[in-house]
Amino acid sequence: MAGGLPLSIDELTVSYGERVAVDRLSLTVRPGEIYGLLGSNGAGKTSTIKTVVGLVRPAGGRVRVFGLDAVTDAFRVKTQVGYVPETSLLYDALTPREFLEFVASVRHLDRAVASERTRNYVTAFRLEAEFEEPILTLSNGTRQKVLLIAALLHQPPLLVLDEPLNSLDPRSVRIMKDLLVRYVAGGERGILFSTHTMEVAEQLCHRVGILDRGVLRGEGTLAALRERMTAGDATLEEIFLRLTQEGEGVRAAVDSLGAPG
Amino acid sequence: MTWREAARLSDVAFTELSLQAIYAFRQGNLVPTETAQRLVAKARRRVVQSKAVVSFVLGLLAFGVAFGLRESRFHSFAFGGVSVPAGIFQAALLTGLLSLDVAFLWWTGMQVLPTFLASGVLPVLEPLPIDERTLTRAAGLLYLRLFDLPAVTVIVTTPLLVGFALGPWAGLAVLPGAVAAVGFALALSLVTGRFFVRRVQGSRGGGGRTVVRWTYLVLWLVPAFAMFGFVTAAPAFFAFLGRLSAQGPSLTGHLLLAAFPFSFAALPAVTASGPVGFSLDPVGWSFLVVASAGYLLLAAWSVVWVLASVRRVSLVPPAAARPTSAARLDLAPQPVMLAVLTKDLRIASRTPGFAFLILLPILDAVVIGLWTFETATGSAVAAGLGLAAVTTAALLATFFGPAFFAIEVLAYSYGRTLPLSNRSLLGGKVLLIALMYLVASGLVLGITLARVFDPVVFVLFIAAELPAVVAAALLELGILFRRARARGLPITNLYAGAWYAVFVSVPGLVVAGLPLLAFELARSAGSYVGLLAMGAVALGALALAAPFALGREGS
Repeated sequence: MAGGLPLSIDELTVSYGERVAVDRLSLTVRPGEIYGLLGSNGAGKTSTIKTVVGLVRPAGGRVRVFGLDAVTDAFRVKTQVGYVPETSLLYDALTPREFLEFVASVRHLDRAVASERTRNYVTAFRLEAEFEEPILTLSNGTRQKVLLIAALLHQPPLLVLDEPLNSLDPRSVRIMKDLLVRYVAGGERGILFSTHTMEVAEQLCHRVGILDRGVLRGEGTLAALRERMTAGDATLEEIFLRLTQEGEGVRAAVDSLGAPG
Repeated sequence: MTWREAARLSDVAFTELSLQAIYAFRQGNLVPTETAQRLVAKARRRVVQSKAVVSFVLGLLAFGVAFGLRESRFHSFAFGGVSVPAGIFQAALLTGLLSLDVAFLWWTGMQVLPTFLASGVLPVLEPLPIDERTLTRAAGLLYLRLFDLPAVTVIVTTPLLVGFALGPWAGLAVLPGAVAAVGFALALSLVTGRFFVRRVQGSRGGGGRTVVRWTYLVLWLVPAFAMFGFVTAAPAFFAFLGRLSAQGPSLTGHLLLAAFPFSFAALPAVTASGPVGFSLDPVGWSFLVVASAGYLLLAAWSVVWVLASVRRVSLVPPAAARPTSAARLDLAPQPVMLAVLTKDLRIASRTPGFAFLILLPILDAVVIGLWTFETATGSAVAAGLGLAAVTTAALLATFFGPAFFAIEVLAYSYGRTLPLSNRSLLGGKVLLIALMYLVASGLVLGITLARVFDPVVFVLFIAAELPAVVAAALLELGILFRRARARGLPITNLYAGAWYAVFVSVPGLVVAGLPLLAFELARSAGSYVGLLAMGAVALGALALAAPFALGREGS
């Protein structure tokens, strides 16, 4: 593992033509930390994550993974990262075994190590019955499990997870949550975790960053955010709505909808 | 709801289908940075281009047959010493044309059906408040739109060109045959396409099943070789018909009149040249009329069945069997280039469009190899055919192989996040192209080994050409990588334009062809001198292409 912070984002700007998706974002993921990136739909979470994993080229700023530049040293960065994308678009024509075999090969994993980890994860996620079925035929939740295993297979020092618990059944969600907490417990690895489910972020993340229309509105532990907002024992959802100034908008939207039926 | 509403729905669905067929977003490709309107316009234009190519080929076939029909009015023909009456000759030609129309449309349908079923455009409409009948009609119309231009080409050009060759009444008489050919092709595409999709795309993993899948995929290509079958079998067919017509009315003759598509082919021939040579006694006439009417009804029913069934077929998932627990959960990682090759072969084994790119060069070479059985053992012609088969393998592998790079469009948005270097990716693709060439050449060697000529020369010929095949692959893929980097992502969309054909395939074909040319020029001094020249040119090409593709600039 290279030196430096698991993830350091400095003044990152991402734009698609005229539209600025992320505007001078700065954040860090520290060793041993699960960092929750929160935001509404279109807030810039996925664009941020895509710059980390090399899918989007930043318009400005720098992204470093353990000190390695995500643009100029993209290949080495990819060896340090395990990634779960927002949508589970995989090689539909492969089976989970064939897909994981390809990932293990690209990541130069030893046969015994790859097999042992695969056996453990497949058993934990109860994937045995689907292991030889084409991914095309699998449910969204099962595809998500395959992606999670692929991200964990090489035990990367940085996990980048974009809405990783989407579509998972409650048992698998629980396994994943416990697994992620243990994953960083050694104090060296880091996790960047994007979600718009506040309860999950509240339970899981050591620190959160609240992103709104590409701008970081607030960052810190839940306690620090409460203190900053003088919000007493407010939930993360309430803090989120206040920071993004969406609270009034939510009430107005509900009022305008009236009573169903 | 009405047919008009169904047509409107099918138009929306067709736009989505075109977009997916060209850009494969649902299969994990990255979205290009263009406006949605431009993407949609491009996708629709490229789908029309594809249909135009198929239609052009169908039109060309009809034109060729019409030329033969016109000639038959002025000349008499004999095959294998048997004289064939003009009407019989015309019926045989039209039988070939209608068979090829069915085969070509059928094959086209099988190529597009996996995309059609995987697109999910019809299931999206299901939860909407649209009545059952309109949904069914919309699905049927959408399916028909896959074939519209080629089908219209067959139905319009066949009567027109036959009318031009044999007169207007003959042109009119061939119309039922053209309509029936289209109807049967639509139904065959749906039935067999669905069968193959279930057996191929839904097939579980495991070595034995992979072999079964590739066997199915070879069968998938059978209609594509209809032309070869027709050309090969034509002289024997003509001679058979000549002998049959000389016998006068017979049971075989009557059965032939009742067989599809001969019955439809006989109608314009009899109209133009009279009943001479046909078994047209009262029994024969009844066979012909009843069979033609029956086939026409069957074709009409086929179209009705297709219109009613497309929706149901599109809603059935590809998985055929109930999942069972995997026997073992271990993995077998490979060196990266080999892993790329294995991944591609596995994907191709469940994706007919990609399997086609691998199998066509191999099967083409095998077919040419099989022609050696028509020649005398050990003759110069046989030897020439054997080498021609290997040459075909080299050139077709070079031509089709790089197009296989489009497989990277699948899950591209995930694959790019893996630490997979361009060099490894390129190496994997070059391995595939070399493998295609070696498998094809190996099969040709096997076919010709027992009966052709000196196998040492043959093996050396294969080996001498191999560096040129690798060089051509490196050059083509090197150009693609550079072009991709210059234009940005996604790289695989480069394939949709004419650019690919001109700037990638042509240099590759030149590089693969130069050693073959060197062999031809030098062989007059002896086979081994020719092989030496060939090997030297091939190695030279490799020495030039490798740094271009694998150097820092290239990869």
